[in-house]
Amino acid sequence: MKRRDFLRNSALMAAATVVPSAWADDGSMGTTPYAVLAQGSPSAAVKAAVDGLGGMSRFVKKGDKVVVKPNMSFSNPPSWATTTHPEVVKELVAQCVSSGASRVLVLDNPLKDVELCLEKSGLARACELFPDTSVLGLQDRKFFREIKVPEGVDLKSTRVMKDVLEADVLISAPVAKCHSSAGVSLSMKNLMGVIYDRAVFHWRYDLHTAIVDLCSAVRPHLSVVDATRLLSTRGPGGPGKVIELNTVIASADFVTADALTVSLGEWYGRKFEPGQVKHIRQAHERGLGRMDIGNLDVKKVSA
Amino acid sequence: MRFQRIVQLVLFGCFIFLLWRATYPLPGWVPVDLFVRLDPFVSVSTMIAARTWIGAPAWGFAVLGVSLVVGRFFCGYVCPLGSTIDFSDRFICRPAGRAFRNAGPSQLKSCRWKYLVLVALLCAAVLGVSYTFLLSPLALVTRSYVLVVYPVLLQLGRLGLALTDALSALPGFGWLRYAQIDQVHFGTAFLSMLLFLGILLLGRIQSRFWCRTICPAGALMALFSRRPLLRRNVDAKCTQCGLCIRKCPMGAIKEDPTVTAHGECIVCLKCRDLCPEGAIDFSRPSKPEKSVSLDLGRRRVLAAGASGIAAGLLAIVELDSVHGESSIRIDRRSTLIRPPGAVPEEEFVRRCIGCGECMKVCPTNTLQPVLLEAGVDGLWSPKTHARYAGCEQGCNLCGQVCPTGAIRFLSLEEKKYAKIGSAYIDRSRCIAWEEDRKCLICDEICPYDAIVMRGVRANTNSVPYVNESRCNGCGYCEQKCPVLGNAAIRVSPHGEVRLSSGSYQSHARTYGLVFHAEEGMKEEFVPDEMPEEKQDKGGRSLPPGFIID
Repeated sequence: MKRRDFLRNSALMAAATVVPSAWADDGSMGTTPYAVLAQGSPSAAVKAAVDGLGGMSRFVKKGDKVVVKPNMSFSNPPSWATTTHPEVVKELVAQCVSSGASRVLVLDNPLKDVELCLEKSGLARACELFPDTSVLGLQDRKFFREIKVPEGVDLKSTRVMKDVLEADVLISAPVAKCHSSAGVSLSMKNLMGVIYDRAVFHWRYDLHTAIVDLCSAVRPHLSVVDATRLLSTRGPGGPGKVIELNTVIASADFVTADALTVSLGEWYGRKFEPGQVKHIRQAHERGLGRMDIGNLDVKKVSA
Repeated sequence: MRFQRIVQLVLFGCFIFLLWRATYPLPGWVPVDLFVRLDPFVSVSTMIAARTWIGAPAWGFAVLGVSLVVGRFFCGYVCPLGSTIDFSDRFICRPAGRAFRNAGPSQLKSCRWKYLVLVALLCAAVLGVSYTFLLSPLALVTRSYVLVVYPVLLQLGRLGLALTDALSALPGFGWLRYAQIDQVHFGTAFLSMLLFLGILLLGRIQSRFWCRTICPAGALMALFSRRPLLRRNVDAKCTQCGLCIRKCPMGAIKEDPTVTAHGECIVCLKCRDLCPEGAIDFSRPSKPEKSVSLDLGRRRVLAAGASGIAAGLLAIVELDSVHGESSIRIDRRSTLIRPPGAVPEEEFVRRCIGCGECMKVCPTNTLQPVLLEAGVDGLWSPKTHARYAGCEQGCNLCGQVCPTGAIRFLSLEEKKYAKIGSAYIDRSRCIAWEEDRKCLICDEICPYDAIVMRGVRANTNSVPYVNESRCNGCGYCEQKCPVLGNAAIRVSPHGEVRLSSGSYQSHARTYGLVFHAEEGMKEEFVPDEMPEEKQDKGGRSLPPGFIID
């Protein structure tokens, strides 16, 4: 990443995270909550959640290039809750398109065979009718470009999808699921799908630290967690216990979105504090976002 | 262009087309291995070695039948190796040398060799050792195009894409940005190239030297073409100018242009078209003709047979031989993982002709040619290379394209139960076990849900266990294991299921094997009993990935 890009992105991020949190803190400008939990059918919940944050037009301006990063890493059906629900992605893409996005790319670097993942997850079909929209699984190295991670503790550089680096807006749209190494796989862990070499996170770095490092360099402007159903055991690949929550969590702060999902859900039959997931705690401590959800303006809506 | 050239070009195009279409999804209307099935030497040799009737390559017998009518048309019109040789001879063969070498009696003597090759190979086949892979023209040419030509073309395409990448910024060329050619890689490609190139370079000696002198399929067809119904006739207009002798690509015309060795004639019709007098036609002969005797010599035949038997015996006694099913020592030492549906090893090696169709069709590129791990007669037979790629759960293509039934055709449902091996964890290499790192890649990639992450006393992080009765041996875990060099989880043939007939599903049921991830959904996280420092305030062990607050 060029320094200028980095500065611009950082400025955008600061605008996206600091400004709303300032509103929330003084409590007087309650019109735009810090995060929204919306209940309802997948598409209605996404719409309500994003509308609650001020609408997609707050994030996507006319002519913007948008990347939506769902989890489509597995060739499992949506009912397994290992991949983002197709209706969730479809609604997000629809909103980006109607906000005037010039190009919407739904991207992942899937763990399994690309074609199978696109087909079985239902994401390819969900997005096929939108103009200027493509669903792509990118695995060839030519699609990635190396960037520095200036704030990285473990991870100092990594190859990131060129399309993500060139996008004006990045939306992280994971499914809510547990993860036997990372605890949970939400909007932060989801970003491991925009890089080329994931394995190094496991064998060279501390997984949690590297996830936070990555998020410091590639920050989503909006996080929409699909907790319409939540994989409560045996994640990330499943099959495990799936809990129907019919909820979508949205925030401009990815740490908050993940923290809310952790406290909302039940994991292996029990409840956890956000701070019990090391990468969420570390991101909070490093100032990338906030996990102290009790202090934040979180709006609950029904759709 | 001459008629024969046109047909040859069209059929060569068909061969390339079918080879190209040997990929997912397979065309339903034509078997992509059609050309391999037509090789009569494959038919005879494989059925003798396997001691059974095999349906698909029986087409080769039909080719022999047609040879009785029109001679060795197969060599001149159909055989893709013949077409390749014709093409390369244009550059390799010295025209002056050809004329010289076609004349004189030595030519018809050297063509005896191919019969001796045939005798030797069939004698080895009688012992159950199939050397078909080595000299069957169709196995050889298919393999050469798959292992040598195809990957090189892909690489060229990738280079082309890289060069035109800048164009993707232009309007209308946006698709170029995501255009992608997946490279495939094959072991033994260089060796295959040497053999292929060597055969083409033989054209330096004579045109179609391979077809005249070595090809066992050519020999077989020549035996059926001694006196075909339609054959070369020369009428009285012949002026003995000798042009046809010099131009015959097979050297099938002796010093006397009216005498033809029909077994050598590939019916290319070149002599008919070139003859300045129009004295040659191919038809039913009206008058008796001088025949060319085929005297192999009893001693030579006996020597060839003895050589074949010796080669067969050697293959059987060699250390890596898979022959001798009675010996548990031989069965037990194999480390090869064969494709799902591969018949029991000895039968497999007898059937496999190393044509490479399965390797071409394999969507993950895990099927790789074996060098000598399965004995000399197992050369170029397929194995899975788990470290490089896994065997896709929802794919049964290799069994669909195998022309000799070495890999059985299994329905997708059946194929899921064709266990090809079992994964085991090398705990001393596993970074979750040994270095207490947060790694779960084998668990998340496993399509059969055969790996469970469990908490153990000694480690902070959860560690993988393999449930062997769920493991199909697909090898995705081994492929994705992030440990460099030898993976910390590896597949061995232990527990493989190899059936020559019958249902894999019912076999699996009998032995309690489960290959459906869904069937495991009831299984819940059951942590081992944990020491106190790893329990939370309520005295419960933490599920994997979470920390005590």
